[in-house]
Amino acid sequence: MSSETILEGQDIWKIYGSLEVLRGVNISIRRGQTKVIIGPSGSGKSTLLRILGLLEPPTRGRVVFKGRDVYSEGLDLAKIRSKIGFVFQQPSLFRHLTALENIKLGPKLVLGMSEKEAERRAREMLKLVHLEEFADYYPAQLSGGQQQRVAIARALAMNPDILLLDEPTANLDIELTWEVIEVMEELARKGITMLVVTHEIPFAREVADEICFISDGVIQECNEPEEMIRNPQTPRARIFLKRLLGEV
Amino acid sequence: MSIVSDLFFILNGITATISISFLSFGIGFLLGILLAFIRLYAPKPAALLGDAYVKLFLGVPVLVFMLLFHFGFGQFIPLFKSAYFSSVFALGLRSGAYQSQIFKAAINSIPRDQLLAARALGLTDSQILRHVVLPQAFIVALPGLGSEIALLIKDSAYAFILGVLDITKYADILRAAYREFVTPYVLAAMLYIVLTFPIANYLDKLGSRLKKKYAL
Amino acid sequence: MIPGLEFLEEWYSFILRGFLITVEMTSIGLAGGFVLGSLLALGDVYGGRLVRVIVNSYVEFFRGSPLIIQLLFFYYGVPAITGVKWSAYTAGAITLILNSGAYQKGYIKGAIEGVPKDQIVAAQALGLTNWQILRHIVLPQAYRIVIPAWTNELVALGKSTSALLIIGVGELTSAAMTVSALTFKPLEVYTVIAILYFTWLYSSLKITELVYKKVRIPGLGEEI
Repeated sequence: MSSETILEGQDIWKIYGSLEVLRGVNISIRRGQTKVIIGPSGSGKSTLLRILGLLEPPTRGRVVFKGRDVYSEGLDLAKIRSKIGFVFQQPSLFRHLTALENIKLGPKLVLGMSEKEAERRAREMLKLVHLEEFADYYPAQLSGGQQQRVAIARALAMNPDILLLDEPTANLDIELTWEVIEVMEELARKGITMLVVTHEIPFAREVADEICFISDGVIQECNEPEEMIRNPQTPRARIFLKRLLGEV
Repeated sequence: MSIVSDLFFILNGITATISISFLSFGIGFLLGILLAFIRLYAPKPAALLGDAYVKLFLGVPVLVFMLLFHFGFGQFIPLFKSAYFSSVFALGLRSGAYQSQIFKAAINSIPRDQLLAARALGLTDSQILRHVVLPQAFIVALPGLGSEIALLIKDSAYAFILGVLDITKYADILRAAYREFVTPYVLAAMLYIVLTFPIANYLDKLGSRLKKKYAL
Repeated sequence: MIPGLEFLEEWYSFILRGFLITVEMTSIGLAGGFVLGSLLALGDVYGGRLVRVIVNSYVEFFRGSPLIIQLLFFYYGVPAITGVKWSAYTAGAITLILNSGAYQKGYIKGAIEGVPKDQIVAAQALGLTNWQILRHIVLPQAYRIVIPAWTNELVALGKSTSALLIIGVGELTSAAMTVSALTFKPLEVYTVIAILYFTWLYSSLKITELVYKKVRIPGLGEEI
C-alpha cells in the first residue's frame, strides 16, 4: 500500500531582486513520513518551508498539495493553509489570549467548530503536549519551551494533513529545547506527517525517515539518517556535518 | 471684500500670533530646562514642587490662566492689564511645564551604561551632564519641541478672547463687521497650517535624522 | 464659609451647570472622536492610496489649525454655506468630535501597528482570513495598547472645551467669566474654577488607570 504524497515542491525557485535564494528545489513528503532538512544559514531552508506552507509564493515552480497545484489552480489559500500546520521559530502566540484560547481560535473561526467542540479539541491538544494545567495561562506567563509547545498544539488543533516546523528550538536554551524535542518525537512516532527544519541531529536520528541537506538554494542530497550522518556523499554535506557534530 | 483683501486684512494679525508663540516658547524653553533639572536632580521637596507645578499646568486649561492673570492679577499689577502680556505669560508658564516633560524624558532616555562608563573614566557629575547627557538629550527632544511650537502657535489663538489683535481676532472682525462667515475662517485656518506644519515637520525630520546618525 | 468664597453660596449651582456641560461635551467629543479616529486609523493602515491621502489631509487640517478657528467655522461658516440652523451646542459637539477624531487616529494607528507582525503571520498560517485577523487578533490587542496614550486625549479634550465659550456654549470657563464679571472677584472665581478642572481631570485619569488595570493582560502593553 503506497501512501499518498501530501505535499510536494516541484522545481521551486525563489529570487529576491538579484539574489537567488532557492534554485530549483524538488522535495516531497508522503503521509506518515518525518523528513528533516538541514543546512547552513542562508541556504534557503526557511524560505523553502515558508513557500511550502503557502506563506510566500515561489518565483517559479509549483507547490502541490494532495495532488493539486495550489497556485495555478487558483485554490483558496486560506483554506489550504489551515490544512498545513506551521510552527515558527518564534512561538508567535496571540498575547491577549490564554493558551487554551490560542488553540481554540483556529478551530472555531476557520473550521467552524462550536465553542464546546473547540474547547474539547483544545484540551486534547494541550494534553498531547503535556500542558493541561497551563490552559488558562497567558503567553507572557509561560516559558519559551512551553510557548512553543502551545504553538505546536495550536497547529495540531486544526487537524492538518502535515506539520511544518521551522527551527522550532533555535531560540530556546538547552533545557527548554528538550521538552519541545520530546513532544516532536512523540508526534513523529504517532505517525504525524512532519517536515522539520532543524539542527537537532539526535532528533533526526531518533524518528526521521530521511534527512535532506540543502545548501546554496539546492538540495544537495537526501538519505536516511544513519547513512547521511556516517557517509555524507557530497563534500559540502560532509563539511557541514563535521562542523555540526564535531569530530566524530 | 475679496479673498485677497481678506487675506491681507487677516495678515495684520500675524505679528501678534508669531510673537506670542515664539516668546512663550522661549520662556517655556528656559523654564522647561530649569524645571527638568529640579525635578530630576534637586532634593526631594524641591523636586516634588516642580512636579506639582507641572501637574497644575497639565490639569487646568491655559485659557483659565490667561483669564486669571489678566482679570485677576490685572487688578493689582499693571503689567497684567495688558492682554498681550497676560497671554504670553500664561502660555509661557504652561510651555515650561510641557517642555520640562519633554526634557525630562529625553534625559532619562540616555542609557545608564553610558553614564557608568563616563563615571568610570573619572568625569564629574557636571561634566557628564554637560558632555554626555545634554547633547544627546537635546537631539532626542527635537521632535517633541517641534510639536510644542506647533501647539503654541495654535493655542496663541486663545489670546483673541482677551482681545489681542492676532490672526483669529482679525478673522473674527471680518465676520462681525463685514458679515463674512466663511472665507475669513478658512483663510485663517490655512494660515495657521502654513505656520505650524513646516516648523513641526522640520524639527521632527531633523530629530529623526540626527537620531539615526548617532544611533540614539 | 471660607472668607472670600462667599460668592459660591449664590453662584454654585450656576457654576455646577457649567461644569456639567463641560463634562458632557468632553464625553461626546471623546466617544465620537474614538469612533471617528478608529475609522480613520483603519483607513490609513488598510486602505488604498486614495483613502490614505484623504485621511491624512483630513488629519493634517484638523491638527494643524486651532480648535478655536474650527469652532468659529462650524458655528458661523457652515450654516452660511449649507443653510442648516444648528445651536452652539450642536456645532460645538460636532467640531469637538471632528477635532478629537483627528488626534485619536494617531494613537489608534500606533496601537494597531504595535501588534507584532509575527502573530499576524501565525494567524495566516492557521488559515484565518484578513478580516478575522483584524477582528480577533489585531483589534483586541490594539484597544488595550492604546489606553495609556489615549488618556492624553482625555485630558487635552477636557481642557480644550474651554474654547467653546467663544460660540456661546455655557461651559465651565464661560460660567466663570460671567460670575467673575458679576461679583468683581476674578481672582477667587478663577482659582476655584482652576481647582475644579484640576480635580475633575485627575480623578478621571485615576478612574481610567483603574479600568486599565482591570482589563490588562499580563505581557500586553505598558504600565500606566
